[in-house]
Amino acid sequence: MTGRYGRYALLRAAQAVIVILLAYVLTFLVISVLPGDPITNTLRDPQNGLSEDEIQQIVAHYGLDKQAIIQLFLSLGRFVTGDLGFSLQSNLPVAQLLGDSLPSTLALAGTALLLAVVFAVVIAYGAQYLPGRVAPGLLRSVPSLFLSVPNFVIGLVLIELFAFRLHAFTIIDPDSAVATFFAALTLAIPVSAPLAEILIANLDHESRQEYVLVARSRGLTKTRLFARHLVKPSMLPAVAMVALIVGELLGGAVITETIFGRDGIGTLVQKAVTSQDVPVLQAVVSLAAVVFVVVNLAADLVSPLLDPRLQPDRAAARTEPGVVVPA
Amino acid sequence: MTAIAPHPLKPFLTGSSTLLSVDGLSVAYGDTTVVHDVSFTLGRGESLALIGESGSGKSTIAKSVLRLLPHGETSVTGRIRLGGRDLLALPEKQFRPLRGRTLGYIPQDPSAALNPVRTIGSQAHEAAALTGERDADKRRALILAVFDTVGLPDPVRVYNSYPHQLSGGMLQRVLIGLTVLPRPALIVADEPTSALDVTIQKLILDLLTDLRQEHGISLLLITHDLAIAAERTESLVVLKDGVVHESGSSARVFADPRSDYARTLQADVPALNPDRYCSQRAAEAQPAETSGRAQIEVRNVSKRFRVGGTEIAAVDGVSFAVGRGKTHALVGESGSGKTTAVRLLLGLEQPDSGEIAVAGETVHGTSRAELRTLRRHLQLVYQNPFTSLDPTWRVRRIVREPLDRFRIGAQADRAQRVREAIAAVGLPESALSRRPTNLSGGQRQRVAIARALVSRPDVLVLDEPTSALDVTVQADILELLARLQRELGLTYLVVSHDLALVRQIADTVSVLQRGRVVEDGAVEQIFARPQHPYTRALLDAIPQPTGLPRPALGQRTPGRPTLGQPAQPLFTH
Repeated sequence: MTGRYGRYALLRAAQAVIVILLAYVLTFLVISVLPGDPITNTLRDPQNGLSEDEIQQIVAHYGLDKQAIIQLFLSLGRFVTGDLGFSLQSNLPVAQLLGDSLPSTLALAGTALLLAVVFAVVIAYGAQYLPGRVAPGLLRSVPSLFLSVPNFVIGLVLIELFAFRLHAFTIIDPDSAVATFFAALTLAIPVSAPLAEILIANLDHESRQEYVLVARSRGLTKTRLFARHLVKPSMLPAVAMVALIVGELLGGAVITETIFGRDGIGTLVQKAVTSQDVPVLQAVVSLAAVVFVVVNLAADLVSPLLDPRLQPDRAAARTEPGVVVPA
Repeated sequence: MTAIAPHPLKPFLTGSSTLLSVDGLSVAYGDTTVVHDVSFTLGRGESLALIGESGSGKSTIAKSVLRLLPHGETSVTGRIRLGGRDLLALPEKQFRPLRGRTLGYIPQDPSAALNPVRTIGSQAHEAAALTGERDADKRRALILAVFDTVGLPDPVRVYNSYPHQLSGGMLQRVLIGLTVLPRPALIVADEPTSALDVTIQKLILDLLTDLRQEHGISLLLITHDLAIAAERTESLVVLKDGVVHESGSSARVFADPRSDYARTLQADVPALNPDRYCSQRAAEAQPAETSGRAQIEVRNVSKRFRVGGTEIAAVDGVSFAVGRGKTHALVGESGSGKTTAVRLLLGLEQPDSGEIAVAGETVHGTSRAELRTLRRHLQLVYQNPFTSLDPTWRVRRIVREPLDRFRIGAQADRAQRVREAIAAVGLPESALSRRPTNLSGGQRQRVAIARALVSRPDVLVLDEPTSALDVTVQADILELLARLQRELGLTYLVVSHDLALVRQIADTVSVLQRGRVVEDGAVEQIFARPQHPYTRALLDAIPQPTGLPRPALGQRTPGRPTLGQPAQPLFTH
């Protein structure tokens, strides 16, 4: 089994690399068909004071005078070797810009992911486990409430309440731990809703299964039934959902960073877009693709460990109806 | 298992000879009462069957005894006494110690009864813990011992397996073993074999009977099958719509049913009435003999599938022929190749070798036009009308679809044909504007048959046509099929695992095992003198209630009154 799983893991990893490269190519193509040539425009901007010779040197260095397809391969080659180029706006290496903004975004998104998972688990398991009808009923309505309030409203309310009224943090120092927590909270609340919904639906589904009845007939207490029989099966679709949520966190980070005045990837993107800073955009999009693909790869690799039915040796044994496979 | 100390709660159960007494039990889901004032008693070490069709309330009664009905949605009134204690009055805290230790439960579908993401061993420990054994190694030894007792070949492998890695029969053995392990006083078995193949069904029931007798465990058996109930239990309670219609000793109810409903049930069980459709079928049989060429001819057909690196012969050198107006049956259990044979016949799969001809035309199934011609000659009625009809379509559209697909007739003509087809299957025209969800199982199967008939095929393939239906509804459908065959001269190919049913409706039969025909011939001959051990095993699997002569399956004597069959015909047209 381990051999098969190993092969499966390698195959998925190889697929992931291909997806990342394709994402890079796609971004390159999209940017290259955009009207105007931001690179030459910037180079020829009199403010930069570059002489014609210097411009020619740069153009030759990056192969900008070559055909688009050759430029693509040159660019792809640089990407693979880790050379992300220079920002058109600040003349700093893109890698350095990313390095400066990444920690702030990682802290924000990481904390938000953690909070979202905690919220979802508390809401879903509470809705399933709490006695009576009132408390579970209220918990079940929480996800739709979370979904219906826009991210920026939550952010503004939190700032008003905790920064200005309660002085829990100050907006002058947006990277402090407390400020990061509240920014992450803003991001986590809407993101936790779909996760909670899927956990609730899945717990409902699992608790109606015959095996739960059989386990109850053996006198398992509610707590043991829950812990031993329901938690693991309910996690499976949630794992896939977490992978999708990471994508949402990256998108949501732009707004949240703006509201809380944080210097992160979101702010970097915002500036790059307004100034048509192509190398930065290309790098950020590729980074997002890498994160997304890696998280989904992790989900794909974890799922067979949670559910033995998904293990690759079984998946391959799917047969025509009427054919019995010796177990 | 001798090492197990007697359970502290067992003593209160000794004493009087009545173990379970249900008194005036009524159960309602919301405003709908599904069980009305049901009473029965079950003696210590005895067995009782609750028998009825879907909606009879039999499972609800079982779950009331086990207190497994959903919380807060049901209201249960009356009394359920176990060894003198009123179970319904006990708070959950005091009832819980009885679960598993005194009251065991064997569920219907073994493949859904174990947690799919945990190993069987880890779940078995939950049952083994009920013996009071605290040491995990000793519990493991108990589990492996009981797996051996219930006839599981490699107990350690079973212990380490996940449920999906075992067959249904093996899983049911696991569940029976785990239920028996804490030696309960009463086992409630809810249709314990209805999800299993016939030969497995017999083995499982034998096992349950043996263990029960060995350990003096009482059994409350829930079943829809009167023959099984009569064969396996001492007394039975016949239920319909939550009301008791008859109760008494199994032998008596079975031999001499007094209520109308019990009589109907009795007459509808295929195993007990092999000649049920004889007179209707006899009329059609004669002219067909002479009509030259066979409607279906399968010559030496083979089909192999590659499964995980190994090649499996799903169908291996199968031949049979069916004459016009005749019924041929393909009989076998899961994995026998009968489904693949049907797919080949329908042109859904291509045979590796051999030839298939329907209505004199060779089936290649390679081009669309050929498939189109084939489907006009041959139509399929699926096994389960609850899943084979699109729930969002109205009956009119469902029945009409083949005409539209094959562009048969003008628009007005099509509407007329749909009306004819729906009338032919005995449904009112008002059914056309309904959706499948508003129809009963029997009505749905009639719609499925109408859909197959509407393009006026010569051959109908009936894939387990009644296995998803209740026994009285089954009889209606078989009656209908017999009449349609007589009136329209249809040729049937029936696929089934139920030999008793085959005996009732087929002229000839091929018994399939692992893709090969192990025996074939006329139904009477196969049933009277089975040559192959597999055929004998299938025949043995037909339940035979004790104390009664085995129905003479081997002879066909039209008009011979069979056990308990009313003198007048049950159905008139």
